[in-house]
Amino acid sequence: MRSVLASGAVALIAYALLYASPYGLRVLTVAGVYALAATGFQLVFGLAGALSLAHGAFFGVGAYATGILGSQLGWSFPATFPVSLALPVLLALLVGLPVLRLESHYFALATLGIAQVVLLLAVNTPDLTGGANGLAGVPGIAAFGATLPRGLPLAAAVWAIVALGGLLAWRLARGRWGRALTLLRDDPLAAAALGLDVGRLRLQAFALSALYAGAAGALAVHTQRVVSPEVLEFPVMVSILTIAVVGGRGRVAGAVLGALLLIHLPEWFRFLERSYLILYGGALLAAIVLAPHGLTGLLERLLPPKPRPPPAPLPLPAPAVADGPVLRVEGLAKAFGGVRAVDGVSFTLQSSRITGLIGPNGSGKTTVINLLSGLERPDAGRVDLLGRDLSGARADRIARAGIARTFQSAGLPEDSTVLEAVAAARLERDASIATAEAHALSVLARLGVADRARERCGTLPAGLRRRVELARALARQPRVLLLDEPAAGLTDAEKAELSGHLRAIAADGVAVLVVEHDMGFLLPLADRVLALDQGRVLYDGAPAGVPHDPAVVEAYLGAPA
Amino acid sequence: MRRFAFPILLSLLAAGAAHAQPVNVPVLVPLTGFLSLEGTSQRNGALLALKQAPAGLTVAADVVDTGTSPEAAVTALERAAGKPVTAVVASMLGTQMLAMLPLAKDYGLPLVTVSGTASITEQGNPWVFRFFPGDAVTKAAHARYVVEDLGRKRPAVIYQTTAYGQGGKAQLMEQFQKLGATPVFEEGVDTSAKDLLPVITKALAANPDVLVLHLHSAPTALFIRQAAAHGVGVPIVAGSAMHQPSTAALLEPAELKGVCAETAASPVSGGSPEVEAFTAAYRGAFNAEPDAFALAQYDGVRMVLDAAAKGARTAEQVRDALAKGTHKGLAMTYASDGKGNMAHSAVIVCYDGKTRVPALVKRYDSLTGAVK
Repeated sequence: MRSVLASGAVALIAYALLYASPYGLRVLTVAGVYALAATGFQLVFGLAGALSLAHGAFFGVGAYATGILGSQLGWSFPATFPVSLALPVLLALLVGLPVLRLESHYFALATLGIAQVVLLLAVNTPDLTGGANGLAGVPGIAAFGATLPRGLPLAAAVWAIVALGGLLAWRLARGRWGRALTLLRDDPLAAAALGLDVGRLRLQAFALSALYAGAAGALAVHTQRVVSPEVLEFPVMVSILTIAVVGGRGRVAGAVLGALLLIHLPEWFRFLERSYLILYGGALLAAIVLAPHGLTGLLERLLPPKPRPPPAPLPLPAPAVADGPVLRVEGLAKAFGGVRAVDGVSFTLQSSRITGLIGPNGSGKTTVINLLSGLERPDAGRVDLLGRDLSGARADRIARAGIARTFQSAGLPEDSTVLEAVAAARLERDASIATAEAHALSVLARLGVADRARERCGTLPAGLRRRVELARALARQPRVLLLDEPAAGLTDAEKAELSGHLRAIAADGVAVLVVEHDMGFLLPLADRVLALDQGRVLYDGAPAGVPHDPAVVEAYLGAPA
Repeated sequence: MRRFAFPILLSLLAAGAAHAQPVNVPVLVPLTGFLSLEGTSQRNGALLALKQAPAGLTVAADVVDTGTSPEAAVTALERAAGKPVTAVVASMLGTQMLAMLPLAKDYGLPLVTVSGTASITEQGNPWVFRFFPGDAVTKAAHARYVVEDLGRKRPAVIYQTTAYGQGGKAQLMEQFQKLGATPVFEEGVDTSAKDLLPVITKALAANPDVLVLHLHSAPTALFIRQAAAHGVGVPIVAGSAMHQPSTAALLEPAELKGVCAETAASPVSGGSPEVEAFTAAYRGAFNAEPDAFALAQYDGVRMVLDAAAKGARTAEQVRDALAKGTHKGLAMTYASDGKGNMAHSAVIVCYDGKTRVPALVKRYDSLTGAVK
């Protein structure tokens, strides 16, 4: 695949140097502008999974910054270009804080609203922007007294910036930051539970994408030599989105391939006058149907990359642990509307002990885990981890403090390999992907699934998925491990194996809390059991006492027939 | 099929012609997007003129859709410049023209357009020639008809929030000020507005004695329909979009009763045997009604062809002929004011409520004063 892309790049350079007419070079230049914009969009949309419809607005803000400063104040490229980068980033940071909290479609609508506001401002402030006519007389790329002529020099300059931007984005996407964004895209709750600061990552991706869009907008204006509201209109946004999807979501090469194809396609059909739109639409449809993962996905399918050799396992350093209480919970409470899901729950988890948490459906078990792991904020109560108050703290901070969890339905990213999924737990701790994967492999080996490291999570049977999720939580080296129904869907043999692993984990000093309905699995495993009903602690004692406690029997177990 | 046949037809017409070097006039106009109706008129007017080229000329014309983005227009011009070009029929969209101007200057290509945007001839670019009266001309006629002929002094001005709308509105305000009329209401309307009753209601609340519109085609039709439906008695004097047969087709004749509009020309209204012949030929070729844009573009290309017939072969020779010459066209007589503004006349047409074909009621010639 890499050799194909490298050959394509060489062919493109040869075309530009040897064969392209001025018209061909202009189309190539425009394709470069859109490749740069789409590369930025890959960061926020492709990697972080946020459908930002403000990307076109950031493109336009960069364009207007260069247009106004260049045509009205006579600034040259070395001065205008940094401003065109900075303004969209500032705007992104300003609007990102409130809108990035929104869920997917609300986020898309909010960013669309931002784009509309920027467009209206451009149209209705004619003294600054030239209004609907825009501003003419934008200079070309000039520096130190020399102006870059259009044609090959301009195309080369634009593509040099595309290459630099692409290289930076590629390195970021392949590194810890890119992996973290991918995890955040696939499962933001899991990402937070693995110690990743979801809000900060989204904001970084949003701002960095704005930087790329601003750069592309500036180059577009230098190419066109005018700036007008069209640079802020929705077709620009649609073009960038289409390029990202057709090229291959999340891939820098996809942005470049998509831009080259989609900018050239209408030109190839232009002789058909207005009928070209039909062919253009048909070609787009065919591309999406035949290559649902984009052109890069198609290339990977045709030329599958060689699997990387697995890293050498690197055992995690053993943390210093002490016996005694690890987590103290006092008066924990949470209500959803009129329903008191958790109502004054107090308990303590001890190092090297397994505590079972049982109760009927709706009794508050999962809510307790959500409160302890920060996915829900308690209305009242205190959570204290080794003397540190974590009450109401964010999920990522709680995770970094030493609490790990699994979910009721194993939330593993379908397209990731087992190794990638577990290594994700080490992203905020290890210095590199290689180290994270080496650590992850050692945890997988401990749980007996190292041989499945290269398999896709989506292909694993339920039992193995549970074990991989447990490995992911263990890779956090937690002091407290919260497991939500870890035995659900497992065979008896798998349950026995899981029991063995949990005992070994506890023996290493970890305080384990297991929510489980299967009493045959839990009672022999647990050192102590808590029973909840209607959000309150009904029973707190030895497992042996559970079947004989009248309150637990009445509320949960039921009387034997 | 007809549209593909045109370049071939034009070549055949010229088969056996004495001149080896063809007169190449690429047609770069918006055929898709919100200006597709007007762009198609522009295209048709240009192609009809090329079809009726003077004997002995070999003509060629590639038609390229520029959409509505400046980027597409510049790319189309760069593409056209790959061959020897005599002159270019350039988009009527102001933002596209502004983008094409620097490239036209670099290549030395005369741009023949019907764009009304004032600023395209204010860039100091000697390669642009506008065959449609600019806003300064048409809005002078518009305002003078309102004030001098109708005797109205309290206009309500409703305009579009586009380059066309903002430019025209600025000219209207300046002309009204010169004529001593004070607008009592002014509001911009977005092209996507689907209900103009709120703006009609607000305008009437300001107690105007005339409603002055400067809107695109569809909003003009919507405004007039809603005004008619609510029995608005204040006279309406609309912008040039109203004169387009495609706009009138959106309305019943009764809804048009009493409505007037400014325009460069109204070929369907007749006025001379030559204009009637043009209208008949246009209908025959395109099965559509011609408007002022088609006629103005026809006149512009005819001036280029006349120059070529008189020996102008290079783009520079054609530019000189356009810049220094005079051309008696079908709509008016054209001559440059030194900036490339070739058209200095405008007319007022009014509808009688019985037909969609308006009558010419007033003609203004030698209007000057292109104002940025």
